[in-house]
Amino acid sequence: MQELFQQLGIDWRLLTSQAVNFLILVTLLTFLVYKPVLKILKERKEKIEDGVRKSEEAETRLSEANLLKKEKLKEAEQDALAMLRETEQKAKTLESALLSQAKEKENAILKNAELIIETKNQEARELVRKEAVGLVREAIAKTVELSPETIDEVLIKKAIGELKSAKQTA
Amino acid sequence: MVHISLKAEEIFRLGGLSVTNTLLLSVTAAVIIAAIAILSRRSIRIIPGMLQNVIEFVIEELLRLMDSVLGERKKSEKYLPLVATIFVFILFSNWLGLMPGIGSIGLQEHKEFIPLFRSPASDLNFTLALALITVICANILGILAIGARAHLSKFFNFKSPVGFFIGTLELVSEFAKIVSFSFRLFGNVFAGEVLLVVAAFLIPYVIPLPFLFLELFVGFIQAFIFAMLSLVFTAIATAEHEEAH
Repeated sequence: MQELFQQLGIDWRLLTSQAVNFLILVTLLTFLVYKPVLKILKERKEKIEDGVRKSEEAETRLSEANLLKKEKLKEAEQDALAMLRETEQKAKTLESALLSQAKEKENAILKNAELIIETKNQEARELVRKEAVGLVREAIAKTVELSPETIDEVLIKKAIGELKSAKQTA
Repeated sequence: MVHISLKAEEIFRLGGLSVTNTLLLSVTAAVIIAAIAILSRRSIRIIPGMLQNVIEFVIEELLRLMDSVLGERKKSEKYLPLVATIFVFILFSNWLGLMPGIGSIGLQEHKEFIPLFRSPASDLNFTLALALITVICANILGILAIGARAHLSKFFNFKSPVGFFIGTLELVSEFAKIVSFSFRLFGNVFAGEVLLVVAAFLIPYVIPLPFLFLELFVGFIQAFIFAMLSLVFTAIATAEHEEAH
């Protein structure tokens, strides 16, 4: 056996050296490579899982927000339509109110104008009357100065002529 | 004429220890791996760089492979240091043994050329050491997983003659594992070295090139086989834990 080992070059000291060399390497690699790399792989996996979960959450929230946005838009559209309808209604009411007010004003103006015209007419009539009275007085005074027969005819003609001219001026 | 030696050649003596060219290269391989490990440890970040990417890729692929054998990630992570180090160490040792200068740079002693470095797996001390560690570790992990009594009852079963016979076979197979483990790796790498030396001696320059590529492949395959077998043995030793309960 010893001879076979010698022939094959097996030496327990060399064998131990190789074994120790390997065991040192196992220890070194365990602490320098395997443990840190496994730790970093685990950390990365956790981070990726966390990222994926957060992204899924964000997507869900986004879709929820989109739904909410659509609902709000619909509501706003409905509100806007209602407001438009209401405004239209108010405008119509206001229009009719304004129209009636304008009508009232118009009537008032017309009445006022009629009143002014009536006053003016009355004033004109009064003026004519006053002038007519003056003319009649003058005519009477002149008639008193003339003979009754001629006076009558002349007076009548004169009075008629003056009345005609007075009518034309009025 | 080329000189082929089964034994590793002694380069110098360190106290009582004879430092051979295979031990020198295995230490060099370990130092290189440790240097890369230190370098990667410094630059380990959540967003990986190039070196970290490569290391993470190797570790993740190994873990995936181990998952398929062990069945769960927790177990894979537990046994990763042993399996991954076996794979990386054997791979580096095999590939370093094919580097230019290895086997051609050496010392001239008594008209005999002694290469300064030689592929570690072409020395039985290296392969035997790894085989012993693997088998011992598999048994220790088995004891830790199913308990000493349950684990040892596999080898020392006195309940029935058949059980005793099977136990004896199991015990013998543990030693057979050590022999098959060490001689498989040693045989492949040593044969590859001899093939390369002979090819380079007979027709140098071009002919050894395909053999070099073949040896690169063999170096990878042997590292992979060794690591996978140690994984399977560990899985067998620890899986019985579930059957025992």
